[in-house]
Amino acid sequence: MGFGQFLAAPELKLTIVTYRDIFQNSALEVSRFDEKYEELSAIIKLDPNDISKLVIKDGETVTVKSGAEKVVVKAQISGYEEKHEGVAYMVNSPWSNALISDNTHGTGVPSFKNFEVVVQSAKGEKVTGIKEIF
Amino acid sequence: MTDNYYVCPGCALLCDDIEVETEDNKITKMYTACMKGVARMKGCSSPLECTVEQEAADVDASIEKAAAILKDAKNPLIFGHGNSSSEAQKVAIEIAKRTGAYIDDTSSFCQGPIIEAILQEKLKTCTLDDVRDKADVTVFWGADPANSHPRHLSRYSYFPRGKERQRGWEEDRTLITVDIRKSDTSEIAGNSGFFQIPIKGDAEFMNALVDGLSSKVPKTSFNFDKKKILELSNTLKKAKFGVIGVGLGLLYSLEELEPLFALMDKLNSVSNFHIIPMVGQYNMRGFNHNLFEETGYINRVKFDIESGQAKHGAEYSVVEALKERSVDAALVIGSDPLSSLPLPVARYLADIPLIDIDPCQNLTATKANVTIPCALGGVESGGTAVRMDGVEIELKQIVETDKLSDKEVLTRIMEAL
Amino acid sequence: MASVMEIYQLLPKTNCKECGKTTCMAFAVDLLARKFSADDCPPLVNEEKYKENYDKLSGMFTPVAGVSETGLIVHTEKCTGCGNCVVACPVDVAADPQGAGSGRAPTTDKVIFKVVDGVVTANNVQECRRFGENIILCVACIDTCPTKAIEFV
Repeated sequence: MGFGQFLAAPELKLTIVTYRDIFQNSALEVSRFDEKYEELSAIIKLDPNDISKLVIKDGETVTVKSGAEKVVVKAQISGYEEKHEGVAYMVNSPWSNALISDNTHGTGVPSFKNFEVVVQSAKGEKVTGIKEIF
Repeated sequence: MTDNYYVCPGCALLCDDIEVETEDNKITKMYTACMKGVARMKGCSSPLECTVEQEAADVDASIEKAAAILKDAKNPLIFGHGNSSSEAQKVAIEIAKRTGAYIDDTSSFCQGPIIEAILQEKLKTCTLDDVRDKADVTVFWGADPANSHPRHLSRYSYFPRGKERQRGWEEDRTLITVDIRKSDTSEIAGNSGFFQIPIKGDAEFMNALVDGLSSKVPKTSFNFDKKKILELSNTLKKAKFGVIGVGLGLLYSLEELEPLFALMDKLNSVSNFHIIPMVGQYNMRGFNHNLFEETGYINRVKFDIESGQAKHGAEYSVVEALKERSVDAALVIGSDPLSSLPLPVARYLADIPLIDIDPCQNLTATKANVTIPCALGGVESGGTAVRMDGVEIELKQIVETDKLSDKEVLTRIMEAL
Repeated sequence: MASVMEIYQLLPKTNCKECGKTTCMAFAVDLLARKFSADDCPPLVNEEKYKENYDKLSGMFTPVAGVSETGLIVHTEKCTGCGNCVVACPVDVAADPQGAGSGRAPTTDKVIFKVVDGVVTANNVQECRRFGENIILCVACIDTCPTKAIEFV
C-alpha cells in the first residue's frame, strides 16, 4: 500500500470554456447512447501544468464539480500551443451542461461557455454514463 | 443545378448540392455532403419509439395523450423547432396560441439577439451568395465553422471563386478569426489572421478596433499588441465587401450588443461590412422568422389563452420559465433540451408532463410521458427552411416512410385539441 | 516516413552515378520525392551485400494502402468532408470552374478531389501538380485542411 493513497488528491479550481467538435457532433447524430458519443463527449482538456498539479496522467478520469453537481470525465492534454493554465476546455454536451448553473440574472441565457468548476483526480472511477447524469 | 441534388439538413448552411444513392428507403451513399451532413442524413441508429408512459403505444393513442396533457396544462411550453420545417413551426405556433402556451426555441439562449437585430434592421446583413461572389474580408468572431459549419469556408466564405472573386483565396480573400483559443478555423487563417483575446475580452477588443478605425491608439486592459490591432483595422478598412460571422463565443461574451453595433457603425462609415449569424440547427432562423411574422417577436413568447395576445420578454424564455416553475407541461419537438439545458432546469422539465416528438431516441424521450416518432426532415419528409443568412430553401423528400412528418404530427395534435 | 539521411544510409554511398544522378544523396532526395524507386539503383538491385538494404528501401516505398503515385495520403479518420481541398485544388478549379472551383458539387469526373460519404477521396492523381516530370510542390490541399488529414509522403 503506497503512502500516496492516504493523501487527498489535490483539488484545482478551473474556468471551463465549451466548444464544438464535428466528430463528437457527428457521433451524436448517429446515437447519443453509443459509446462513441460518450468517448468523444465526456472529456476535459487541460493544460499540461494543470495535469501535473492534479497529479494525474493523460487519459485518467477526474471528477468535475460545480455547485451541487458533479460528473466524472476523462482528462486529456489539450495540445494547444499557447499555455492556458487555469482554463480547461469541454465540448458542448450533457456532461458540460450538467455543470452549468441556472443562475442567469434573469437574462434567460445561462453561462454555457464560461463557468467555474473544481477538478480532482478520480483515479479508477468510471466516466459518468449519459443516463446517470440525471 | 441538376434535378438530382438534394438539400442537407445537417446545419443552417442548408447545402443544396448533395447527391445520394438509396436502397430500401435508406440513403446508402452520399456525395459532397460533409461528415456532419452524412451523419444526419443517413439517419440515427436508435429511432424514437412511439410510447405513452414509457410503454409502447400506437400513434393515435400517443397523439390523444399528448393533446390531453396540453389541455390539462394551465401554462404549457412548446419548445424546440430548430429541426422542424417552417410548415410544422407554423402549426406549433397555432397550438401555442390555442393552449395559451409559452413558445420558445434554442435561439433564446443562442443566436436570438443577432437575428432580432437583423430583422429589426439594426445590423446590416447579406446573403451567403453575396459572400461567395463579393466578400474579400471575412471575420469569424467566436465561431469555428470548421467544426460547426464545415462547408462555410469551401462553399462561400474563403475558398470558392465568385463573380468578383476570380483569383482564388490566396490573392482575393482574407480570412480573420477572433477567438479565445486557436480553433481549427484559426489554423486555416494562419498566425497573421488569428487574433487571440482573453475570455470576456470581446467587447474591449471591439472598442479597440473602433479606436483603430478612428485613428486613435487602440488600448486594451489585456495589452493586446497595438500594432496588430492597427493592422487589423487597416485590413477591415480596406475591405470592399466585409463579412463578420458571429458565433456563440462572441454572443455569450457580450453583456449587451452595443459594442457590436458600435463596431458595425464605425466599419460601415469607413468600409462596407455585413453580419451573418452562425446559426446551428437547420431551421432555427425559420422559427424566428415565422414567430416574428405572427407576433412581432422572434422567440420568448407567451400567448394569452383568452385574447391570443403575445407577451414577450426574458421571463417567457425557456430557461426562466422552467427555472421559475411557471410551466406545468411541455411539448418538445426536434430538440433535446434534457441534453442542452443546464441540469437544474432540465431536471424540472423531466418532472413535468412531457411530450417529445423527434425522429431519434434522445435524453428527453427517456423522461417523456409521450413520445411520437416523426419523419426525418429533409430526408423522409420535405418542407421549407430558412438558411442562416435568411434565404428560404425548399427541402425535398428523398425516401419514403410510414412515419408522419413533423407537420402532420402537430396537425393531428391540433385537431385532437 | 524516413528522412533523407535515413534513406541515404541505406544506399551504397559510392556515388557511382549509374542511376544518372551525380551523388547517392541526390538519389536519396529523389527517392524520397518518389521520382525514383529502389529499383533505379543498379548496385542495390544486383549486389548481394546490399540485399538487406534493398529490401528495407523497397519496403519503405511500396505503395501502402491509400497512397497514390504522388504520395498523397488522405487520413480518412481525420477528414471532416469540409471540401476545402476540393475547392482549393488548382487542378479542380481549372477542370471545373463553375462546380468545384466555385464551392459547389463537382460537375465533372476530371477533378482530383471529391467528397464521398463525408470523406474526401482522391482520383485522377496523375493530374496533380506533384505528379510527372515538371512537378510543382503545390500545397493547396494540405494548407487548407483544418484537421491535417492530407499528407504527401
